[in-house]
Amino acid sequence: MVTSAGSPAHRDTTAISCWATASPYGLGASAFRAGLMTKQAAVRPLPEELRAGGPHEEGGWVPDFDIKAVLGRKGTRSMDRLTALTVATVGMLLRSAGPGLAEDHPEAMGLVIGSGHGSVKSIMDFTKESMTSALPYHVDPGSVPNTVMNRAASQSAISHSIKGPNVTVSAGVLTGLIALNYATALLRQRRAEAVLVGASEEYSAQRSWLAQRADAGDGQQTSGPLGEGSVLLLLEPASRAVAYGRPVLAEVVASRFTAFTEPEGAQRSLARSVTGALQEARASPDQVTLVVPSDRGGYLGDYENAALSAVLSDHRPQLVLTRALIGDMSAAAAAFQLAAALVHANTGGLALVTSVDPGGNAGCTLLRLPAASS
Amino acid sequence: MDATNGGPEAVPRVVITGIGVVTSIGIGVRAFTFGLREGRSGARPITAFDTTGFAHGNACEVVDFDPAPWIRHTPLDDLGRASTFSVAAARMAAQDAGLVDEQIRQRRSLVSVGTTDGESRDLDGLVALDLEKGPEAFPPAVARRYPADRLSSGIVRELRLEDVEAITIATACAAGNYAIGYGLDALRSGAVDIALCGGADAVCLKTFVGFYRLGTIAPDVCRPFDLNRQGLLTGEGAAILVLERLESALARGANIYAEVLGYGLACDALHPVAPDQSSIVRTIEAAHLDAGVSPDQVDLISAHGTGTRANDVTEVAAIRDVFGEDAMPPTISIKSLIGHSMGAASAIAAAACAIAITEGFIPPTINHEQTDPECAVDCVPNHARAADLRIVQNNALAFGGNNAVLILGKHLGPQQA
Amino acid sequence: MPFKNPPSPLADETKNTIKEIVCDILEIEDDEMTDVSLFIDEHDMDSLRAIEILAAIEKRLNVTIEQEEMARMVNLEGVYAVVEQAARN
Repeated sequence: MVTSAGSPAHRDTTAISCWATASPYGLGASAFRAGLMTKQAAVRPLPEELRAGGPHEEGGWVPDFDIKAVLGRKGTRSMDRLTALTVATVGMLLRSAGPGLAEDHPEAMGLVIGSGHGSVKSIMDFTKESMTSALPYHVDPGSVPNTVMNRAASQSAISHSIKGPNVTVSAGVLTGLIALNYATALLRQRRAEAVLVGASEEYSAQRSWLAQRADAGDGQQTSGPLGEGSVLLLLEPASRAVAYGRPVLAEVVASRFTAFTEPEGAQRSLARSVTGALQEARASPDQVTLVVPSDRGGYLGDYENAALSAVLSDHRPQLVLTRALIGDMSAAAAAFQLAAALVHANTGGLALVTSVDPGGNAGCTLLRLPAASS
Repeated sequence: MDATNGGPEAVPRVVITGIGVVTSIGIGVRAFTFGLREGRSGARPITAFDTTGFAHGNACEVVDFDPAPWIRHTPLDDLGRASTFSVAAARMAAQDAGLVDEQIRQRRSLVSVGTTDGESRDLDGLVALDLEKGPEAFPPAVARRYPADRLSSGIVRELRLEDVEAITIATACAAGNYAIGYGLDALRSGAVDIALCGGADAVCLKTFVGFYRLGTIAPDVCRPFDLNRQGLLTGEGAAILVLERLESALARGANIYAEVLGYGLACDALHPVAPDQSSIVRTIEAAHLDAGVSPDQVDLISAHGTGTRANDVTEVAAIRDVFGEDAMPPTISIKSLIGHSMGAASAIAAAACAIAITEGFIPPTINHEQTDPECAVDCVPNHARAADLRIVQNNALAFGGNNAVLILGKHLGPQQA
Repeated sequence: MPFKNPPSPLADETKNTIKEIVCDILEIEDDEMTDVSLFIDEHDMDSLRAIEILAAIEKRLNVTIEQEEMARMVNLEGVYAVVEQAARN
């Protein structure tokens, strides 16, 4: 089930062969790479039309994202920002990845999108229109698809003709890792030849209020400025990537997920995830060259750090932190961590991406990075 | 390969050993089975929200449900209505499987729950609160519990699972089949040793208004395949199934409802709300291939069968394409009984299929008067029918063209394994 | 009924509002549409957009249009006729 990280692959490994993002640094992987490498803060004052009376003054918002300007006038009238960010990112990925994908094999292409609760803005605006109109059904039917959580994934399939398994998954801040694991299972069970997998969040006043009010009940674990964007990875067997002339940017080696009941259980839970993933990969902690934690801050951040220290002991791999730069990406957080690992994937060895959710779930994914020499 | 008798090369066989259901016609396997056999109707006037201004307002709500016997460790305020259904159904399923929490906790597990709306019922309430008092009044407990992941992570917390992957699959009205399919894959690959899979949703204003505005809500009851069908009724509830590999079920002497033989997924990639015949055909064929069955082996189809004009005609046309005009098996719609429970729908229907296999009867399609020649099927009108069911197909079609078809089979006992 | 009054023409303002709604929903410019150009064949209307047009007109003009009337709403002339009738009811 899990490919050994230390020995030559006797079977095909699962490769990430391309990726794209709409991030607070702008559209495209190169903008994200440049921003991250220079550690430029993309959390900045929200423009008034995005802030829309929300409680946060700052956020990591995607600049210059006018839906009609980016995606054209046709088919965008009812499209919400979350859907548009996703459709645009899928488009960027397909354009840069080359042949053998949606145009050539639409029915063999899967699409897995992670989401917190779809667009809470679209859902709440729709309900509000019903509650405030002269008649309760005086709503815009064109907005109905936006109120269903699979909108971003299914509209991306429609816009780009991706006809294989089309899936929307939700797992709190772990969502990106869970989506990647789901996509890996689709490939290994041969339900698709290649899968686009990632996660998306949009900024909205509604999401901002929900985050702020959720914090109000806790106080110890604040969400801070919110980020938005979309990350999509192309996942396919390594041999397929090579056959189509794509590089193996990383191999998905193992993922492991655990849960805890009380907050103080987070440390033990995450340590168990990491230890389990390393065991499945038949790798030792000193093979880890890069760590991208969820960096939640607060007590969860402390537990995450403690778990990593416990497992890695005095081994000190390169640490990449993104949350302060791009904001709290909520359900897209782990997908952005995966993208950050790919930005730094010149080290060889193993990249460890970890995540801890206040709802009581923890998990990690191990990626094998190509050695600089190979 | 023989569908129910895999050879030495076959992938591990996966069986259903526990069922938990919360539905408008019965809570728990026993009551639900009775409701299916009797053809009970869950349709009644909506209580979830004010229906003033709508021409009609029926739905299939779960009434008189007390979660307290099922939810022991989680404060009920931590769970929205859909999560309450999913967590209660999970506990029922575990008990039905003869498992105490500790036995699940010791195994590596998957919890996968499908949903259309997550906790949109909570978001309805927050919108009303926003209009009345402003967003500063959002209760922190509700703001924390609304995300869709709580439908699965709520189960993990309540059962105190530790070595577990929790995933909510939000692929709209096919999500239940997706969630069960993921459980099948995780057990086949050996990634986990036990899986709690299903779906949950709660009736909400948002979804009622959406379907109403699209002209797809029936004024009184849901009449799938009927000449005078006028649409669907929204519904709610949950079903969670305990899935495990056959060997572990046999080793612990578990009761086996049915075997999960396979499933198929495909996407129309054509239209946000209209179904596509050729893509449904492709999904059914993928499911048959995965399950190792041929159309002539299928004894029953549990259709998506929403009772809208478009769905029933398109779905039956696809079934006709696969099975042939004269060889379509009995094709029923559970939605005539319990309405369209959205992301829970295909999970509850899968539970109904498993029960039908075990108990040897076909649940009826109720409210049926005259079959529409455009979607003519033997829908087992109004009265349950005794039948020895070997292979059953469960269809699910969602907005956005997200289709999932699940195949269940009768477990013929270890001597045939 | 043996005798029918000729339909009273809609005010130009109402017609302009209807055209504006239809062009917005079908994502085309005003000058791409005539009173008789066909929504489905010439302007790519699908079933969802048809309901969008119906719903937007109901809300903006405060009328009620039965779903069955959608069959007549094949072009602007058809919509005007349906709205005239709905306004009389």
